[in-house]
Amino acid sequence: MLMEEDRCCNCNNDNMNVNINLCDDKNEMTRKEMLKKIKCLRFAVIELALYLDIHPDDTKALCLHNKYCKELKELCDKYQKVYGPLTIEYPCNKWRWLEEPWPWEGGIDNVDL
Amino acid sequence: MWTYNKVLEYPVNIKCTDPKLAKVIISQYGGPDGELAASLRYLSQRFGMPDQTAKAILNDIGTEELAP
Repeated sequence: MLMEEDRCCNCNNDNMNVNINLCDDKNEMTRKEMLKKIKCLRFAVIELALYLDIHPDDTKALCLHNKYCKELKELCDKYQKVYGPLTIEYPCNKWRWLEEPWPWEGGIDNVDL
Repeated sequence: MWTYNKVLEYPVNIKCTDPKLAKVIISQYGGPDGELAASLRYLSQRFGMPDQTAKAILNDIGTEELAP
């Protein structure tokens, strides 16, 4: 599960050279920027989890995982409140799951190939 | 359990369509040596895996391979 509390840790987030930062001010983020950051955070969380499976004692990786999980959860909640659900586990008053294009039909923020 | 997230892990727009290449790529996903087959192999192998680390990595990589 995602961590609400600040777990661990000896390392200070400011000292970490690894940083996912596409836009400093979350309030000024456009939909595209939000979605891009969600994707970055998801990627980081997934890859860190795979790394931690075989390096469970790496506290730096664990800290980063906690940090990104927290950021991801906050940003997903914020995004879904405005633009509709990213998963069917997000409750809506009106069923909005059908409204947005599917990723393979050219969702809104894809990289050109 | 599998839950779907309405985003791609690495999102792309295809600018130049190429049906021949598309055939190759789709078989990498669903073909005989594709990710779908690999994911199910990983997820089956985890049931017989005695080692905790390997069990976790089989579970988590199997899950990733499954995700389109």
